[in-house]
Amino acid sequence: MHARDGSLKWSLVGPTLILLIAFNVFPLLYNIFLSFTNAELVGEGARNVGGANYARIFSDPIWQAALRRTALFVLCAVGVELLLGFSLALALKKDFKGKHVVLTTLLVPMMLSPAVMGLYWNFVLNGNYGILNQALSALGLGEPQWLTDRDLKFWSILLVDIWMWTPFMMLIALAGLSAIPNSIYEAAEIDRASRWQVFRHVTLPMCAPLLGLAVLFRATDALKQFDLVMATTGPNDASTQTLSTLLYQSTFREGKIGLGSAWACTVLVVVLALATVFTRYVERMRKTQEAT
Amino acid sequence: MKLLRWLVITLGFLFAALPLVWMGMSSLKHQADTINPHPKFVPSLSAVAEPESHTFEVTGEAYAGLAVLHAGAQASFWEHLWNSVIIGVLSTLASVLLGTCCAYGFSRFRIAGAKDWLFFILSTRFMPPLAVVVPVLMMYRKLDLQGTHLGLVLLYTVFNLSLAVWLMKGFLDEIPRAFEEAALVDGYSRASAFLRVVLPEARTGMAVTAVFCLISAWNEYGFAMTLNSSGAVTVPAYFAGLQGNIEGMPWPQVAAGALVFVVPIVLFTILVRDHLLRGVTFGTIKQ
Repeated sequence: MHARDGSLKWSLVGPTLILLIAFNVFPLLYNIFLSFTNAELVGEGARNVGGANYARIFSDPIWQAALRRTALFVLCAVGVELLLGFSLALALKKDFKGKHVVLTTLLVPMMLSPAVMGLYWNFVLNGNYGILNQALSALGLGEPQWLTDRDLKFWSILLVDIWMWTPFMMLIALAGLSAIPNSIYEAAEIDRASRWQVFRHVTLPMCAPLLGLAVLFRATDALKQFDLVMATTGPNDASTQTLSTLLYQSTFREGKIGLGSAWACTVLVVVLALATVFTRYVERMRKTQEAT
Repeated sequence: MKLLRWLVITLGFLFAALPLVWMGMSSLKHQADTINPHPKFVPSLSAVAEPESHTFEVTGEAYAGLAVLHAGAQASFWEHLWNSVIIGVLSTLASVLLGTCCAYGFSRFRIAGAKDWLFFILSTRFMPPLAVVVPVLMMYRKLDLQGTHLGLVLLYTVFNLSLAVWLMKGFLDEIPRAFEEAALVDGYSRASAFLRVVLPEARTGMAVTAVFCLISAWNEYGFAMTLNSSGAVTVPAYFAGLQGNIEGMPWPQVAAGALVFVVPIVLFTILVRDHLLRGVTFGTIKQ
C-alpha cells in the first residue's frame, strides 16, 4: 500500500465512525450519567441521587412484571414464528406453478410498518365490528374481545407480531433448505432412511446454523417490542406493558428522565449481551462458510 | 403428505394476504359500512338499501378524505406523506453514500481493528431507540433540530449506517480487486479508480442497499414519535396519533392511507426480491 492511502482510508471510514459514536456512544454515556440523577423532562436542576433509581427499579413490581412479560413475549414470538416459518419453508421447498407469486405475497407483511399495520389491526380485531369476530361468530365460535379483554390483549399483540414476522423465519429457513445438496437426500433414500430420520438427521442439522441466526435476529428485535404495543393498547396498559413501552411511559408521559435512564441502562446490558452472542455467532458462521 | 403441504401453503397464504385484501376493500367503503355489525364483502356500484346485506357501495370518498384535516392532527395525510418522502429519500442518499465509502475502506484497506469496528457498527443496530432517545432529544433541543426534517434525516442516516456498511461491504467484497489494480496501472489515482471503476460495478448493490435503507426509514416509529411530535411528523407517527380520535376512527381513511403508504414498499419488495434475504440479515447470509 502507498503511504498516501493512510489518509485516504481514514477519510473513507472516518465520517461513518464519528457519526455512529456521536449518536450511539455519546448518548449511552450520557444516559449512564443521567441514571444517577433525578432529572425530569421539564425543568432544570437535576441532583445526584446516587443509586436510588436503580434501587427503585429492582424493587418495583411494575418493572419486574414488564421484564417478565417481555421475556414471555420474546419466547412465544420467536418460538411460534420459527415453527410456522419452518413449516411453510418445508411446504414451499418444491417448485410449483405460481410459487413466485405465493412467495412474494407471503413475504410482504415483514416489510410493512409495524406502527401503521398495528393501527390497522385494531380494526380487524375490534370486538364489535372487526372482521375476525364477524367470521368467528358466523362459524359459531364466539366473539372474544381481542383488545379489551385483560387476559387476551397480550396474545392479540403476539398474533399481530406472528403475522408480521413469520415470513422472516420462512425466508431464512428456505435459504437453509435450498443449500442442502440433493445428493444427500438421494444417499439417504438408498440407505432406506425413513422420512422422519431424514428430517431429524439431515434437514434439521443442516438448517440449524441459519435458523440460529434467524432466532437471534428475531429475539433482539422482539426484545425491543414497542410499535405494536403503542398502536394497539398504548404504553400504559398493565397487561401489555413491555420494557420499551414502560420506558416510554416513565420518560415521556411521567417525565422521569433519571428513572427512565436507569431503566434504559439495565435494558442495554441485556441487549448488549444478546448482541455479543449474535456477533460471535456471525463470526463463527463466516469462518465455517469460508472453510467450506 | 401432499395434502398437508398444500394445506400449509394455503393457510399461510390466506393468513398473509387476507388482512391486506380486507384493507383494500375497506378503503373503498363509506364509514358506516366499516363499523356495521354485518360484514360487507360484496362490492356494488349502486347504493345498498338493506342494512343487513353483505353488499357495500364502492366509493372513493376515503381517498378524497385523505386531504382532510382531522381533529388533533396538524396537517392532512398527504402532507405527512410528503414528510416521510423527504426524510426517507434524503436519509437514504446520505446513508448509502457514507456507507459505501466506509464499506470500501474496510473492504480494500488494512485498517487497525477492522473486525472490532465492523462489529461495533453492527451492534449499533441492536440499540433500542428508546434507550438513546433522551440524550438525542436534549441535544436536538439545544441545536433547534427537534421537529425538523433535518433532525430526523440525520438520525435515520446514522440509524441506517450499520445496514448500509454491512450490505455494501458484502457487495464490494464480491468485486474483483483486479479491476482497480488494472486502473491503477493505467495511471488512475486511488480515488478516481474508486469513483470510475468500482462504483459503476457496485450499482446493483447500492440500489439494493438504498431500498432497504428507505424501507427502514419509511417504517420507523420510535424516534419519529418522540422527536418529531410537533413538526415534520412522518406517517407512522401521524397514524398513531389518530388513535383515540374523538370523532371515532375514520377507518376507510386509515385503510386508504395505509394502502397508499404500503404500496411503494410492496413494489420495492418485488423489485429487490432476489436480494431480500441479504437485506433483512444485514448481508450476513448470502445466497
